[in-house]
Amino acid sequence: MTTVLKAAVIGTGVISKEHLSFLAASPHARLVGVCDLSRAAARYAAQRYGADAPYTDFNQMLAEAQPDVVHILTPPQSHKFIATACLKAGAHVICEKPIASHYQDFQELWAIAQECDRALIEDQNYRFNEPILAIHDLVTQGKLGHIEEIEVRMSLGLRGGGRFADENLPSPIHQMPAGVIHDLITHLVYLALPYLPSFDYIRATWNNHGGGDLFKYDDLDALVIGDNVHARFRFSCTTMPEGFHFRVRGTEGYAETDLFQPYIRAVYPRGGKQLSPLVNHWCNGLDLMKASVRNFRRKIMQRTPYEGLKILLDRTYTALINGTPLPISYDDMERTSRLIDALVAEDNQR
Amino acid sequence: MKLLITGASGFVGKYVVAEGLRRGHDVKAVVRPQTDVTRIPWHDCDRLELVRIDLRQQAELTAALVGVDAVIHLAAVKSGDFYDQFAGTVMATESLLAAMAEAKVSRLVAISTFSVYEYQQKRAHSLLDENSPLVTKERVINRDEYSQTKLIQEELYREFGTEHNGKVTILRPGMIYGREYLWHALLGAEFGSVLLRIGTRGTLPLSYVENCAEAMIITAESEGAIGETINIVDDNLPTQGQYTKELMKRAESPKLYYCPWVVMKSIAGFGWWINQTFLEGKAKMPGIVVPAKLHGRFKPLRYTNKHAKTVLNWQPKYTFEESLDRSCGDQELLKA
Repeated sequence: MTTVLKAAVIGTGVISKEHLSFLAASPHARLVGVCDLSRAAARYAAQRYGADAPYTDFNQMLAEAQPDVVHILTPPQSHKFIATACLKAGAHVICEKPIASHYQDFQELWAIAQECDRALIEDQNYRFNEPILAIHDLVTQGKLGHIEEIEVRMSLGLRGGGRFADENLPSPIHQMPAGVIHDLITHLVYLALPYLPSFDYIRATWNNHGGGDLFKYDDLDALVIGDNVHARFRFSCTTMPEGFHFRVRGTEGYAETDLFQPYIRAVYPRGGKQLSPLVNHWCNGLDLMKASVRNFRRKIMQRTPYEGLKILLDRTYTALINGTPLPISYDDMERTSRLIDALVAEDNQR
Repeated sequence: MKLLITGASGFVGKYVVAEGLRRGHDVKAVVRPQTDVTRIPWHDCDRLELVRIDLRQQAELTAALVGVDAVIHLAAVKSGDFYDQFAGTVMATESLLAAMAEAKVSRLVAISTFSVYEYQQKRAHSLLDENSPLVTKERVINRDEYSQTKLIQEELYREFGTEHNGKVTILRPGMIYGREYLWHALLGAEFGSVLLRIGTRGTLPLSYVENCAEAMIITAESEGAIGETINIVDDNLPTQGQYTKELMKRAESPKLYYCPWVVMKSIAGFGWWINQTFLEGKAKMPGIVVPAKLHGRFKPLRYTNKHAKTVLNWQPKYTFEESLDRSCGDQELLKA
């Protein structure tokens, strides 16, 4: 018989669609509650995704629905407060990124999770997207040699409209230490960390190129070096089209992708020294053609770049049921949180 | 009366504020904090007070409602994804109603839309009036975000009536047109500078913006309208063809192409069948080839304003031709 965990969701913003659609379809979860400060929002989400009940008070939901797992999808500043209550109520916590506003908060939250003997997971969804997993396979198979460079680059036109550009009701994300980039930098950092052994040298240049008071920063250019591995992190609001590029370079070759328009370009020795450039061109050309068809189909079928989230959640629920290791470890979260703090720290800003 | 009007700087809101002032009311015009109103002729009128808040800021809203006799709630978000529209339409309304309950303001003229009606299951050329069925929760998922959020908004209005003894009138205007919006969505589908006209013989459920604005103010003044749901359309409604012909006499036209309603309906039906049969219904199609959305815009139906005239004792002031003349002329229409 399939074990089913009682799941609850707090926060019904944009990302809730991905969590709730997973929970509505998963054989491992039963959605016992959806909570939001807006009664209309909680009610809509509960009805749309088949939750047992809507709530506007998460403490009431924890007491009445007694969920085994709570998904926290609220603004980052509220994560620690809400997650603490959930853990103390005996629920495992899956928390949207960034799990905490500061490294210290993460450590305190982790200590509470340990005390309560509950799991605490940060959503590091893009790690489970197909191209990232494929590139990771190339690295672990040694096809790219020893990894020496990583570049993660995100371009998002946040100033062109939408939630973050609304001056009439500024998003709470603007109050984060790195402003809106703080909401996205977790993705950049956790993708690089598997290949970055340590942080010996950190330099981050934060800019507000667009000016004005709403955005604290709209541009980041950062370099981190550890054990001779260079990692570059770029965030831009102006370079278009929008993209989320990830590239690793090793002593033998390199591989790259764009997670918003997924493809893989991998160049490494294949077909012998003389033929390798030709074979790489042919293979990559073919892969690009296949990707264009696949991406057209993805667009029609409304597949989003959140495919990795469904895999992460599925693996998390399976691990919780079987008592096996969780897909995101303490080290994954600790190093991510620590490096973000370091990038934001004034000492490392130039 | 002291009226609080939300969405005051929007296309319809500007006219409603002007009409409210013309009829001698004091008006609190709610606009978002960064809105520039200096170009609107009524912005410096003595009986006008600008209230610069986002409707989701409930505390400020409660303070603004002190002394208000009636609220005309127009504000809604028509663009962006579902979550943008939900926040700007549903959550903003939720906040407004909570503030009204706190400030003990019970009179609400709630502006809804024809988009809440069920169209696909309605027979062509049948009458659409206040008794026509609304789209059900099961079927609304096939409609656009605007229909979905406006339907939830209407639920909130009804709750306000029952839970807080709210004196609510729900007005459902048809397609509101005017100087700022003449080539509207019921004529066809826009592709850049090209308009693909869909059908010519269907009657348009039109409401000229000045006629509509007057109906909204009369509703706020009318005790008899409390508890009513009222459709607002003009008299002698033109067909799509008549509207386009008259408009082209007065205004520049986009490049027009034409597709008969039955052809478009068949294309959409075929697209729907393909989606359901081969793609598990998961494919995202353009709105005009989704039957539920297509029928909502172009299905030929009949309309009436009998209930509005009876309850409100209202008569649309301008005929269709006069409305187009005013829309295409250079007369100032927003003077208080």
